[in-house]
Parts: sequence; C-alpha cells; structure tokens
Amino acid sequence: MNNLLSISLFLPELVLTATIIIAIIVDIFSVSNRTSKVSNYVIIGLLATLAAVFLTNHSPTTLFMDSLAFDPFASFIKSVVLVATLLIIIFTRYSNEFKGYHTGEYYALLCIMVFGMFLMASAIDLITVYLSIEVVSLMSFILAGYLKNNPRSNEASLKYVIYGAFSSGIMLYGLSIIFGLTGTTKFFAIRDAITTLDSSSNLALTLSTVFVLAGFGYKISAVPFHFWTPDVYEGSPTPITAYLSVAPKAAGFALMIRFFNQVFVDGDSLSTLGWYADVSFAWPEILGVISVVTMTMGNLVAIQQNSVKRMLAYSSIAHAGYMLMAFPTISSEGVFAVMIYLVMYLFMNLGAFFVLIYVAQKQGGENFEHFSGLGWRMPIVGIVMTIFMFSLTGLPPTVGFIGKFYLFVAVINAGSAFYWIAFFGAINTVVSLYFYMRVVKTMYLDGNPSEEIIVPPLSVTLILLVLAVPSVFFGIYWTPILNWVNNSLLFFVQI
Amino acid sequence: MYRDFGTVLIFAMLAIVLVYVPLFIQSLVAPSQKTPDKLDNYECGEEPEGSAWVQFNIRFYVIALIFLIFDVEVVFLFPWAMVFKEMGMVAFIEMGIFLLILIVGLAYVWKKGDLDWVKYNVKYGRGRYRQKASQTEGEAVGSI
Repeated sequence: MNNLLSISLFLPELVLTATIIIAIIVDIFSVSNRTSKVSNYVIIGLLATLAAVFLTNHSPTTLFMDSLAFDPFASFIKSVVLVATLLIIIFTRYSNEFKGYHTGEYYALLCIMVFGMFLMASAIDLITVYLSIEVVSLMSFILAGYLKNNPRSNEASLKYVIYGAFSSGIMLYGLSIIFGLTGTTKFFAIRDAITTLDSSSNLALTLSTVFVLAGFGYKISAVPFHFWTPDVYEGSPTPITAYLSVAPKAAGFALMIRFFNQVFVDGDSLSTLGWYADVSFAWPEILGVISVVTMTMGNLVAIQQNSVKRMLAYSSIAHAGYMLMAFPTISSEGVFAVMIYLVMYLFMNLGAFFVLIYVAQKQGGENFEHFSGLGWRMPIVGIVMTIFMFSLTGLPPTVGFIGKFYLFVAVINAGSAFYWIAFFGAINTVVSLYFYMRVVKTMYLDGNPSEEIIVPPLSVTLILLVLAVPSVFFGIYWTPILNWVNNSLLFFVQI
Repeated sequence: MYRDFGTVLIFAMLAIVLVYVPLFIQSLVAPSQKTPDKLDNYECGEEPEGSAWVQFNIRFYVIALIFLIFDVEVVFLFPWAMVFKEMGMVAFIEMGIFLLILIVGLAYVWKKGDLDWVKYNVKYGRGRYRQKASQTEGEAVGSI
C-alpha cells in the first residue's frame, strides 16, 4: 500500500503520536510540581489508542511501501502492550519512588516507548526492525535511570546503555550481512532470495542469523544475552522494572516470531517443520538449547536471591525461557502458545510487582525479611500475593497453569525430537516452586503474627483485584483469551 | 557471487595506491625544514593555548544537540521544497506536522531553561552556581 493510503490504517500510531505531543505540551504549561495532570491526559490518549487498535479493521496488508505489516497479530501485540502501559501508569501514580522528581517527561517517554513497540510488533523490513528496537531501547535507558539522585538507578541506566549499544551493534552487523546476501531489506524478498542461495553462502547466513539472534535475545533477555537484566531490574524504579519485564518482552517476542516465521519458514501455513533455507545447521536444536539454558539459569540463580525484586528479575529470565520453549517447533501451535502465555504473564507478573511496590512502601524494603508475617498483618495483600506466586509457578487453577499447559502441549505435539525440551521445562517448573513458595512461606510462617491488621486503601485494593481476579478467572474459564488469540493468529503473508 | 566483489577489491587497492604513492614521492622530493611553528598544533590559525585535554562544560553538549535537531530539520526542508509544486497541499500539511513536532520540542527546551546560558534554579549547585543563602530559589545566581 502506498504512503497516503496507509495513513488510515496507521490510526493507532497517529493517535499515540498526538498523545505524546499533548503530554509534552501539557507538561510545558503545567506548574512544576503538579505533573500528575499529564498522566490523566496520557491515560485518555492511550485508551483512545486502544480503541483505534480495535477499530482499524482491514484484511492483512502492508503499510508504507512494505515496511510495516498490518495484521491481527500486530494488533494483538499492540493491545497487550497498551494494557501493560495503562497499568504501569497507574502503578507510577501510586508509587512513592518518584517523589521530588518531575514526572511530566516520564509519561511522554513511556508513550514514545509504546510507539517503538507498536513498530516492533509490525516491522517487516530490516531497517524498521532496527529503528524500532532502538526507539524502545533508548527510551528504556532513560526510564531506567529516571531517579537521578539514586546511584543504583544511574548504574542501571549506564549498564543498560553499554549492553544495549553492544548488542544492537552486533545485530546491525548481522542485518547488514543478510542484506549483503540477499540484496533487499524486505522480509518476503529475503525469504525468496534465501531459497535460491547456493551452499557457499551457508556460513554467512548462519553467522548473520546468530548475530540477529543476539539482538533479539538481548530484548527478551535470553541467556547468554541476559547479563544486563538483574542489575537493570534491581536499580530501576519498580514500575519501570515491571514494565521492562512485560511490554518490551512481548514486543521482542513478536519481532522474533515474525522474523523466524517469515524469513526462514513457510510463513503461510505455519505448520511445516523444516526451515526454508538450505542450511546444514541445527536451528531448532540451537533455539531449544537457548530456551533450556535460559530457564535453568533464571531459576537456579533466583533461588539464591534475598531481594524479592531481584528474585522477580531472575524469574522473568526464566519465563522468557519457558516462552522460547515453543520456538523450535516452528508450528502455528507454538506461536499460539507464546501469545497465550504473553497475556497470562502480563497479569501475574504485573500483579507481583504491584504487591512489591506496595510492600516496599509500607515496610520500607524489598527483601524477604520485609515480607515476614505479612500474610497476617495485611490479609488482602497476602492472599493476592499468594495467588500471583502460585500463578508464576504454574499451579492450577491460575493463569500460569493455562499458559504453561499450552506451551507444553505445543512442544509435545511437535514430536519426539522435542521431548527433551519439555522434560527440562517440567523440571524447571518444579525448581521454581521453591523460591516462589518461599515468598508465601515468609508471609505466613515467619515473623510474629501481630494483632494489628493493615487494610490497604480502596484504590490499592481495587488495583490488586483488577490484577488478581483475571489471574484466577482466566485460569478457570480461559475461552475468551483462547478465542481472542485464535482470531489474532493471522499474519500478513506475501506469496 | 564472490566475483562481484572483485570490483570492490580493485577499487580499494587503487584507493590505497593513490594515497600512498603521492605521499611517498613528496617525502623524497619535498624539502624538510622543521620550525617550532610548523610542528605546533593547528587551532584555526590562532596561537595554540594550553592542553587540548580540558574539561568542557556539559552545556556545550546540550546546545550542540539542539543545534543538530534543527540542522536536520533544514536538511529535510530542502528536498521538500524541491517537490512542493508537484505534491501540493499534502506536502504542505505533512511539513506542517513535522514542524509542529519540532516547535513543541523547541518550546520544551525553552521552558526547561536549556536555552539559557546562565542557569537559574541550580538544585545542587557548586562553585559559581552555588545558591547564596540570601537569595531565594528562582533568582539568578550564576555569572557568565
């Protein structure tokens, strides 16, 4: 589709851009210490964007001379990202970490990051891929270091910049090799060109894909590109940590699914097991090993943590590993499972982080000892946190169980060649039980059950319920999510 | 496929030869008279002063960044002006939106005080930016 016709289907992004500009203008004209006003405008703008995402209906097509895809899959990822952003804005308004900071820009930067993730969800051109990843990365660097007077936050930002610059440089090198091999930047043209390559270019193709994988792996924090994750997650303001563990990860997975399914596999049927390119390199096995190593590393290191925030950081690495489990199968069932898991993960992970924000405010810290006896002092928070911990482990009847169930089904159905991945996944789930249940144990069995009972204010209870009710409800009746994902599992494919 | 890169190889080799051969020839024939002035650093024709390794004020960086944005804006305006007649209204609206976004950026920079060389409201000021006890926040404290 040409540029002018594309604009009508680009409506969500346009609304989002207007939101960004309005946020900056409101910030300019507001009195310096009353910046929560900006967040009101941003919430309205993001709701309008969400409406625009659902209203722009069209058969799958491409926008702006084949640089972006417009399809239900992109809309799905956009909705997930928007829901996460709205929740994070509410968290931020509640959090006391930003006291004394000017938060007008914060919301504008958050919206720019959403814009980058929108592009990541729909990029089908190597240049758009790189640019969208950079937009998201640059904004996350600033947001991670938003607490200027906190050395940990500065450290997080700097570490993030160094790792980010390095891995995006490597990815760019990989992209340039792919361009050199195929002479085009469009995914579909690359797919066609790869099938005609002779075997002398196998080495270059393998190398370039490994390099590109480094960029994607950095975004979803897969081992061995995960080294930034714990420090950045620990140093950043907690709402941003929660955000980084959900939204950019969803966008990164979207980009990875699109890249691997449309460049290397027959992106149409999404059911073949063979890779398109004639490479004598065991791709499914490599991705399987990355998945297993990622979840094992995340879980084993999470066991030793004393800070709940750091434990959740490692647990998010482990969850990236679970989601990667479905990649080697290269089947529509695998993509389906990853999409379901992204929705389920959104509720349970953001919920756990919100409880962390609230507890850190009330108890003055984020370590395990601050949780001791909490279940008796704050009954509502205790019960809700228990639900989230059960869910993150993957115990029924919670959303975590449903998400894991579909992932394992996808792996098992792909054939006996992938049983070993499922085996390691099952072992890891059992290992993760230990440190998630440690939180529950600390809340109910440690410390002295005190007489006084702290009831959280109505707003906090409401947010907790908004996150906890879906965590249980969709664990019992998940047909709505199933239907939504089923309808969204449609890619734009150029024959 | 590798044969296509032969052109690149010849080009690279020619480039290297064309740089080093004149340098080699002039090192043979040119007279060499080294005076202190000739061996000195070049500083736009001025007398060099002090070491080059001095700390620059961070404000130069902010100004350079703002300059760069508006510099790029002008770069975009030139091709736009070339096709303006054919594109008509669409191009006008498009450039209007582009300029609007940049103007919002300019207004932001202005409001936040990044265009002032003399800083007001330095929160943790040191040295010449230190807030004097007698002065309340909002008054000028620095000097040029």
